[in-house]
Amino acid sequence: MKALRAQDVEYTLQHSRGARVDEDVAATFKSGDRVLTRNIHPIGHTRLPRYARARHGTIASDYGVFIFPDTHARGEGVKAQHLYSVRFSARELWGPEAREADGVYLDLWDDYLDPAPGDPAPGDPTPGDPT
Amino acid sequence: MNGAHDLGGMHGLGPIDAEVDEPVFHAEWERRCFAITLAAGFLGQWNIDMSRYARERMHPGDYLKTSYYEHWLHGLQTLLVEKGLLTEEEIAARMAELAEEEKP
Repeated sequence: MKALRAQDVEYTLQHSRGARVDEDVAATFKSGDRVLTRNIHPIGHTRLPRYARARHGTIASDYGVFIFPDTHARGEGVKAQHLYSVRFSARELWGPEAREADGVYLDLWDDYLDPAPGDPAPGDPTPGDPT
Repeated sequence: MNGAHDLGGMHGLGPIDAEVDEPVFHAEWERRCFAITLAAGFLGQWNIDMSRYARERMHPGDYLKTSYYEHWLHGLQTLLVEKGLLTEEEIAARMAELAEEEKP
């Protein structure tokens, strides 16, 4: 087992690998797509919070390809896939008493998302969601 | 996992107390905890997602009553024991030793 020596700390921290993966993986979604998060309750690590499961959102941007934390935390590989910023209207998450203009952006992986059923054609305004 | 770390939407915890010019560490032990966690991570026995999962597995009752770096310390101990680098007995013995040293 290799220990980190004091003189190597600065170099190692500056060159340590991030969670981005240099791999060509196809994106399932693009900006503007409507998605429905999966209703999952894994006993392991996940980055999909409870309040955002089985909720409709919109892809705000695509960050590129990243390590999938759920499998990585189990030692089952990086399962490289696209990571998106997904916008949820506050009303979708917290109900009709939330402010209409408010929204929550979550960084979510492809494996948390399905296409929203009955997805309107791209560019169509969606009722209740100003994006 | 549906643990205490997943706080979104939970009521009753009071306002978020945002400190002006908040220091990175509030006590010397937090600085050490952070450094030891990073150094132990470079042993290559686990990855960052395993570290997060180790913190999330803290008992919900304990998790909600302890501070950020206490979660880190708990997670590190969990991983060190699970990977066979330390035993619970060794940690307990060292804690007893330190407590003895601190007696006036």
